[in-house]
Amino acid sequence: MRLKSFIEIYGTFLAGIALFVFLLIFARNFASTANLLNVLKQVSFLSILAIGFTFALIAAELDLSFANVCSLSAVVIGSLISRDIAWPLAVAAGLAMGTGAGLLNGFLVTVLKVPSLISTLGTSSVANGVAFMITGGVAFVGRWDKDFLFIGRGKLGPVPVLVIITLVLIAIAFVLSTQTRTGVHMQATGENEEAANRSGINTRNCKILGLALSGLAAGLTAVFLVANLSSAAPQMAGDFLLNGIAATLLGMTMFTPAKPNVLGTFVGALIIVILSNGLVLLGAQYYIQDIMLGIIIVVSVAVSASVLKRAAFAL
Amino acid sequence: MNKFKTIAAAIGVAGMAMAAGQAQAFDLGVVAFQMSAETQARCAKTVGAEAEKLGWTAQVLNSNGSLETHASQLDNLIQKKVSGLILCMSKPVQFDGQFEAAKKAGIPVITISSGASPHTLFDVTPNEYIMAAESAIYLLGTINFEGNVLVQRFESNTGARIRGEVLDVVLKENPAVKVVGSHSMARTKSWMDDVRNGMSALILQNAGNFKGVWASFDGQALIIDDLLREGGLKKGDVSLVSIDGGQEVYRRIKDPESLMTATVAIPFEDMAKSAVTMMKKIAVDGVAKTDLVPGPYLFTPATLVDKSNVDKFLK
Repeated sequence: MRLKSFIEIYGTFLAGIALFVFLLIFARNFASTANLLNVLKQVSFLSILAIGFTFALIAAELDLSFANVCSLSAVVIGSLISRDIAWPLAVAAGLAMGTGAGLLNGFLVTVLKVPSLISTLGTSSVANGVAFMITGGVAFVGRWDKDFLFIGRGKLGPVPVLVIITLVLIAIAFVLSTQTRTGVHMQATGENEEAANRSGINTRNCKILGLALSGLAAGLTAVFLVANLSSAAPQMAGDFLLNGIAATLLGMTMFTPAKPNVLGTFVGALIIVILSNGLVLLGAQYYIQDIMLGIIIVVSVAVSASVLKRAAFAL
Repeated sequence: MNKFKTIAAAIGVAGMAMAAGQAQAFDLGVVAFQMSAETQARCAKTVGAEAEKLGWTAQVLNSNGSLETHASQLDNLIQKKVSGLILCMSKPVQFDGQFEAAKKAGIPVITISSGASPHTLFDVTPNEYIMAAESAIYLLGTINFEGNVLVQRFESNTGARIRGEVLDVVLKENPAVKVVGSHSMARTKSWMDDVRNGMSALILQNAGNFKGVWASFDGQALIIDDLLREGGLKKGDVSLVSIDGGQEVYRRIKDPESLMTATVAIPFEDMAKSAVTMMKKIAVDGVAKTDLVPGPYLFTPATLVDKSNVDKFLK
């Protein structure tokens, strides 16, 4: 492999490793097991949401509703738990809410032919409105069932339960996207819909599945957020929209350049969270963190855009 | 190759400089939940400045109104093994897990206007019930205890919610005063737009039919003051009363063009100074917490400010 193509495939990943090594050397307590597990726990929320977004993008659709759908699912869960409904039912309702919103997006895009950029923005706004309607703007807060909170706060030995669940989910997502016929069909749909159609792939179902998986990921993240914070509020996942897109774009600059991929998204999310954690450990003030995140987003978009452009010219 | 060496050397020097900055005697973590609210910014900045006067390092973080960001920042500061934590307007139930982890790690936590937690030392706060009663009765006094009023609430914050509930008690005992319009601020991230949209509608609907406006905090009152002035109202047409205090509010109480009538000034700077002083006494000098603050709250007095005494507060 030539150096240029090696850097194209692994450049961002190597930059992430360089950041990791830098923090290992210079950030006090960064290398402690507790902190590394803390980083993995923090990346859980972002990576699952971003991987959902990645699935929609693999099928060449944008899902800009995932953050607000996640907040709505969280509010549904919080609302039911605070009414003394058994938490497994509340969790099921939250997952159904997320998946339902994803399926609705799929319907709007494939049946009504509304571009996903528009339809998911619409869904996002509706989800936001419904979340405020349910809560009246007041968060559901309580000292809820310990078994439920164990999902978000519990540990098996030193390892947070959330980390174990997230790693399992990422492994499933990776296998689904790369090792199964469905995953291959979704990728083919995303790369060239017409060619995929002609070769007998049901591209409509692939797009619906991509958007539904994004919704399901939003529902899952909602469960984890509510269990971690013992509360549910409208817009509680609002910050994840920008970071989730940034993680996915960062992911598109590595492993399979210009293509959304699960592993790349996870590493992208990891880089964002490591940076955030590292800056705190290095003693950086709050404004430095916002500036750094902004730079990361701009650079990742610029790099992925140039890779995309090159890929487009190569066609 | 020379370029690479230069870059590596520069990164190394930067890293060593940052690492050196971490090795201080007392490392204070300061987190404000939403620094776009002036009171929280004042609080966090004063804590930082006071800590630096003692020769401590103070790392100030802003959670931008995001629950998950706040939780992550607390987790990161605990992993950093800061010597102490002072939190401005935090939320004890939502971050119970983080507060408990801090306690287990031996990190003393003092909160400001946040509410009590079994895992923190105490909360430095004004007595919300007294302040709320003062502002409500003052407003009713300015309209001679009869006529219509508009109310701007905020239910998601414990202190602001208490203020609204005390107002209701005062109104119940004064049936000649009627609330003809009430808006509850729901969005914490875009709260300014929320207040502007909600109150502009109420002001239009009730034009000429109200004599007073009560707002749960001064940030809301400033927006309402602008709306009233845009509506052509002059000082004295309507009484506008709120709670918090700050130079801009004092300036407007004095300003003949503004409708801002009175506020209850919370001494955020004094509260922040008090939190740092107490942290020093407990964490550095070894004084027992119970010798300083017997219960979960350290109350600080607040003062009603109107045209009669505003000059004392204006700087």
